[in-house]
Amino acid sequence: MSSAVATQETVAPAVEEQDKPPKEPRGFNTFEFALMAPTLALLALLSLVPFFTLIAMSFSDVRTLGRIRLEFTGLENWVDVFTNPAFWASWGRSLIYFTSIIVLEMVLGFAFAVVLNNLIRGRSLLLSVVLLPMFLAPVMVGLLARFLLDSTIGLYAKMLAGVGFDTDVFANPSTAMPAVILIDVWEWTPLVALIMLAGLTSVPPSTLEAAAVDGAGFFRSLFNIVIPQMKAVILVALLVRSMDAIRYFDVITATTNGGPADATKIIPIRLYEMAFRFNNQIGQAAVVGLTMLVFSIALANVFLRFFGDREVARAHVAGGDH
Amino acid sequence: MLGRLKPWQRVLFLVLGILIGLWSAIPIAWMLITSLKPQEAIRTSDLVFSFTPTLENYRNLFFGGNRAGSFLVNSLLVSIISTFIALALGSLAGYGMAHWRSRHKKDVSFWILSTRMAPIAAVIVPLFVMFRIAGLVNTIPGLILACLTFNLPFAIWLMNAFFHQVPRSIEEAALVDGCSKMRAFWNVALPVTRPGLITTAVLCLVFAWNDYAFASSLGGPQTSTLPMAAGALVTQSGIDWGLLCALGIVIALPMLIAGLAVRRHLVTGLSLGAVTGE
Repeated sequence: MSSAVATQETVAPAVEEQDKPPKEPRGFNTFEFALMAPTLALLALLSLVPFFTLIAMSFSDVRTLGRIRLEFTGLENWVDVFTNPAFWASWGRSLIYFTSIIVLEMVLGFAFAVVLNNLIRGRSLLLSVVLLPMFLAPVMVGLLARFLLDSTIGLYAKMLAGVGFDTDVFANPSTAMPAVILIDVWEWTPLVALIMLAGLTSVPPSTLEAAAVDGAGFFRSLFNIVIPQMKAVILVALLVRSMDAIRYFDVITATTNGGPADATKIIPIRLYEMAFRFNNQIGQAAVVGLTMLVFSIALANVFLRFFGDREVARAHVAGGDH
Repeated sequence: MLGRLKPWQRVLFLVLGILIGLWSAIPIAWMLITSLKPQEAIRTSDLVFSFTPTLENYRNLFFGGNRAGSFLVNSLLVSIISTFIALALGSLAGYGMAHWRSRHKKDVSFWILSTRMAPIAAVIVPLFVMFRIAGLVNTIPGLILACLTFNLPFAIWLMNAFFHQVPRSIEEAALVDGCSKMRAFWNVALPVTRPGLITTAVLCLVFAWNDYAFASSLGGPQTSTLPMAAGALVTQSGIDWGLLCALGIVIALPMLIAGLAVRRHLVTGLSLGAVTGE
C-alpha cells in the first residue's frame, strides 16, 4: 500500500483551479446548490431542529408522562447542573478517560504501524487481522470483554489469575476504569495504526537511505525524519479519535454502566442516566448535552482549519513543508 | 523503512508482528470457538480446548425462544435503507459541494462536520422528545432517521472528499463536448468515484448495523436490532455465553467481510477524507 498524506497534496493540483475561478457560478441560485438543497433540508431536520430543541429543553422542565410538555423554568437546569459536584466529577473522569485512551492509542497505534511497515512478508495479511476489532459493534466488544474477564470462566481472567492478579476487574473501582480504557484501546488502536501506516509509507525511502548512509540509527531516523514528516497524519488520527471518544459510550454501558461507585461514570453515561433512568431530569440532561457539544464543535473547528477547505489546507501544508 | 534492517531486527519485527496479531485476534477467535462449543464445555470453570464443534448455539439463537430472525430483519431494514438514503442524498450533495463556490461554503462545511461529530448522547435526548411528539419511537422509520443523523453528514462529507479527487479535466472535457451538468455528474464523475461510493456505503452500513445507543433508547420491542438483542441477553439470572458468542459472530461476520473488502480505501473513509491511502 503506497500512500500519501492529506488529500490536498494528491488531489488535482491547485494551479488548475486558480486559472479559472471566475467561470464558476457562485451562490445559492446555481446547479451545484440545487444538488445540495434536498439533502441539506433533511440534514437541517436531523441536526438543526434537534439542536434548537436541545436548547429549548435546557431551559425547561420536560414532562414525558403522557403527552410531551416543555414548561419554561429559566436557568434552573443550568444552575442545578453547574452546582452539582457529581457533574464536575463526571467531566473530570471523562478527561482522564479521554486522555488515557488517546495517549495509549496514539503511542500503540504508531508502534503497530512501525512494526507493520517493517515486515517483509505477511504485512497485508497481518494488517487485515489487526483491523478486525474495529468492525465489531462496540456493545458486543463490551460484552465480549465481560466474557473474557469473567472471574469464573473467562479466558483472560484465568491468565491474569495465573500471574497473581485474581480479581473481578469490573467490580473493583480501582480496576474498572483501566479495564474500560483498555477495551477501547483494543478496539480502536487498529484505526490509529491504519492512519499512521498511511503516513509512514509516504515518507520517501531515499531520505531514509540518505540518513542511514550518514550513520543515523533507527531511533534517530524515526524521531528526526519520520515523525516530523507525519505531523499532518498524526493530527488527523488525534482528531478522529478525540471525536469518537466522546461520541461512543456503548462499551461502558455494556460492562460497568458507570459503576462501581461511579468509577466509570463518564459524562455521556451520566447524561443517559439523567435522561432515561430518572426521567424528571431530561432538562438537566439537555444542559449536559450542550456542554458536550461545545467540546465536539471545538474539535470540528480544528479539523476544518487544517483539513476542511482544501484550497486553504493545500497552501498550509505546502507552506509548512518548507 | 528506515534503511536496511539487520537480521536480528527482522526477527524482532516478526515476533512483534505476531504478538500484535494475537492481541487483535484472540478475543475474536475465542468468541468464534465458544459459539461452536456445546453448553457443557462453556459452563465449566476449566478452559476446554478439545470438543466436538456443534451449531447448537446458532440453532437456539434462531429457532429457540430467541427470535433472532426478526432482530436480523430489523437490523437489515434499518441499516440498508438508511445507508441507501445517506448514499443517494450524500453523493448528490457531496458532488454539489465539491463544485459549489460561495462565501458561505465554510459555514456549510462546518455545519455538516459538526453534525457528524456531535456526541450521540447529546443527540439522543432531543431526538427522543421529537420522536415522542411525531410518534416515531419504536418504529423502523424512526430508527432509520436516527441512523441518518450520523450517516447523512458522514456520506456528504466523504463523497465530497472523493469527488474532490476526480480530476477536473475529465469533467471539463465532457462539458466542452456539450454534456449537461447533470450528465457530467451521472455519467462521468459518479463512475470514476465508484470505489469511494462503495467505501462510503460500507462504512455507513457498519455504523448503522453496529449502533446500540440509538436503537436502545429510541427503539423498542418491535424494532429490536441485533446489537439490542445482544444487550438483552444479559439478564439478572446470568448470561448464556454460548448464545451471546453465536450472536456476536452473526453481528460481526458480515461487517468484517464488508470492511476488509474495502480495505484499500478504509483509511480515507475513516479519516473523513483527510488521508488518502493510495
